[in-house]
Amino acid sequence: MKKLIVLICGLIFLSAPASFAQGLEYFKVHKPQAGMSAEDIMRIKYFNKYSLFAQDYESIGDVVFVEKSGAQRNRRFLRQRIILGRSSDDIAYKDLVMFTAPTSVKGLATLTWNYMNPERDQDVWLWLPSLRKIRKVSSGQADDSFMGGDFTVEEITTRQFEDETYAMLREENFQGYTSVFDGTLYHKDEPCYVIECRPKRDNWYYSKRITYVSKDFGGNILDEIYDANGQLCRTLFRGWIIIDVDGKPYAAQNRVEGHDLRSGHKTIIIFDDIKFDQGQKESNFSEKTLKRQKW
Amino acid sequence: MRIKLKFILVLIVFSLLFVSSSWAALEIDRGPVYGLLRKGLPFEKLEMAGFLKSATSLRLAHGLDEFMKQANTAQLALEYSFNENFQFFTILRWFYDTVYDIESVYDDDPQWESKSNKKLKHPEKLQWLRECYIDILTDRLDIRAGKQQVVWGTADGIRILDIVNPLDYREWTLQNYVDSRIPLWMINMEGELLMNGHLQLLLIPDYQADYYPPAGAPFTLRTVRIGAEGVKALTEAGVTVNTISERPARNFRNTKIGLRWRNIIEGHAFEYTLNYLHTYSFASSAYTLFQFGFPPYFELTRRAEQIDVFGGTFSKTITEGILIPGFAKGWTLRGEFAFIKGNAMNYGLDESIQGTVDVNQYNYVLGFDKGFWKNWQFSFQFIQLISKPKEDFNESMYTLLLGPTRGPMEEVETILTCKLSTDFIHERLKPEVLILYGDDNDWRISPKVSFEVNDQWLVTAGLHFFEGKEQHLNGQFDKNDQVFFEVKYSF
Repeated sequence: MKKLIVLICGLIFLSAPASFAQGLEYFKVHKPQAGMSAEDIMRIKYFNKYSLFAQDYESIGDVVFVEKSGAQRNRRFLRQRIILGRSSDDIAYKDLVMFTAPTSVKGLATLTWNYMNPERDQDVWLWLPSLRKIRKVSSGQADDSFMGGDFTVEEITTRQFEDETYAMLREENFQGYTSVFDGTLYHKDEPCYVIECRPKRDNWYYSKRITYVSKDFGGNILDEIYDANGQLCRTLFRGWIIIDVDGKPYAAQNRVEGHDLRSGHKTIIIFDDIKFDQGQKESNFSEKTLKRQKW
Repeated sequence: MRIKLKFILVLIVFSLLFVSSSWAALEIDRGPVYGLLRKGLPFEKLEMAGFLKSATSLRLAHGLDEFMKQANTAQLALEYSFNENFQFFTILRWFYDTVYDIESVYDDDPQWESKSNKKLKHPEKLQWLRECYIDILTDRLDIRAGKQQVVWGTADGIRILDIVNPLDYREWTLQNYVDSRIPLWMINMEGELLMNGHLQLLLIPDYQADYYPPAGAPFTLRTVRIGAEGVKALTEAGVTVNTISERPARNFRNTKIGLRWRNIIEGHAFEYTLNYLHTYSFASSAYTLFQFGFPPYFELTRRAEQIDVFGGTFSKTITEGILIPGFAKGWTLRGEFAFIKGNAMNYGLDESIQGTVDVNQYNYVLGFDKGFWKNWQFSFQFIQLISKPKEDFNESMYTLLLGPTRGPMEEVETILTCKLSTDFIHERLKPEVLILYGDDNDWRISPKVSFEVNDQWLVTAGLHFFEGKEQHLNGQFDKNDQVFFEVKYSF
């Protein structure tokens, strides 16, 4: 009898359908392979962007807004994510972002459900400690500034593989990116695919972006963004590190730098204390957690 | 003397601005006030935050030479975490509104300096203790016990189900509700029964009535002014006036009970709540008795009615489209309904109470929110407040009376609200305008703009325009149009 139960359990486990995002299986590390098309590489890039290879993710983010004059403003947040890849209710992953500083935004928190269906918008709940109220809100406009920084909402949170068309331009070693914040040179000589991405939407806020995707781990390192008139207007740099989790090489963004070439304004997000696969519970991604933010 | 004080204040403001502008990369400087507090309270498990705020408003009608508010507020919030499951939290707030010192127009009432009115100037009794509670947090059950405010509902700017706590009407409804709600001592438990299904139980032994500012204050409700004038006239005419307050004692026998079931239907992300509240009304009903004799006798009884509230809310963001893909995508729909059983209202003629009847109230709001054009947020609400008398009275002669104004009201009052907001300069400059319209041509229009100078400093300026007849909610403050200015320093 016991053997039968074990056999049934084993069959259930083996036959449990694996979930996929753009054809890539969840909870597995995917890397670019020689000979892949631009589309295949970008699928991996999006997979890595949202950490779909992991069970869960946590980090502390420090945002610094730098005016042209050099004056700075700050935001600090704790971000937690649980990846579900669950076809039954279409949920790809759930995100919690809780601001911890400065006092003017302390306690502000959002819960976001992201769906596997690329046509479907996020569901977002916003906890406003100043009102002691949770508000269901629409996900931000894709072309709106993310947190008032030098990148858009879609660049950070909502852009999907299906939103653009892709063309491979060349392969080259990345010349390196000198941080506008601390002057450090990052990712020098990183072998990259250089891919041109054009939005499918007409009259969108950018006409194209040239993106540099690492051949090694499939993360995009630099975006050169061209405005509707074809002029280079912004750069968006992402720094990456590889974190070994039980022998699996997880690619994690540890910094994002946006630079508006016209206004001179810069925004930097530095991710620290990055953790994967901590055994987070889905029940933690609920309104109850939002309400625990008191300030 | 006043000039000297202002000079010192300006000096302090500039020194704080100077000191707090020395940022360090990735070290969020919280300024000298926080630094001093941290030195004084060097406990690792103690987290603190607060603000200093100066708020000034001037009456537009008098050539901006009449202050309506000049309040300075200091708030300190403290959280001590014994461990991740057990925390203590408190908010201490002290304020002083100098408008009652610098404007003689508000103190011509001989009763003004009475104890009950001083609370307009500064906190009285435990008013400075805004919130004070312990949290016991577990995977399945959160318990919050102590002085707190509980917010139900999804509506903005109007209270349909948000009636767990009473309200302080010293500035009508111009303040954020978080500042004007009167916290109560209670036990608040929330248990997780499903992944996204939570049951909340409130046990509230505490009771306080809504606070109405006395006659002579900047935002005295019309009903209070008429009542004070009536009592004064009766007293001068030799009538013995007796005012009786029938309010529930603050004890466990009078414990109010609240229940809320909240659930999100997965797959659709449709959120709903079902609410029940057994409580006492915070706005007392007035019962009058006049006896001829010598001397004549007038008795006014203010009774907090025991009421039962049954209600619910829903909210849903259209993430794919309604019926056809993409249709109405991006809109958030929300609603709130409350059936209030057991309340009572006055009926009569304008200004004149003829009697009191039991009523059933059916209040609801439907809200629609959407972001447009990159970073413009639009919010619209349709609200109806329906009052059905349960007892007969001469409806050909009298009408129900609106509580705050003692003016005639219809059985169905409709209110529309619209809020438009956006931001500029990397979300530092945030303008918004709020418009409230009542179906009796009753208006309030409140534009404002705030500017984040840096992480610590926020300045806000705006206007409040009231328009309408004095019998209606906003029209009663038709002469209270004001410009306001606030400076806030957070630490």
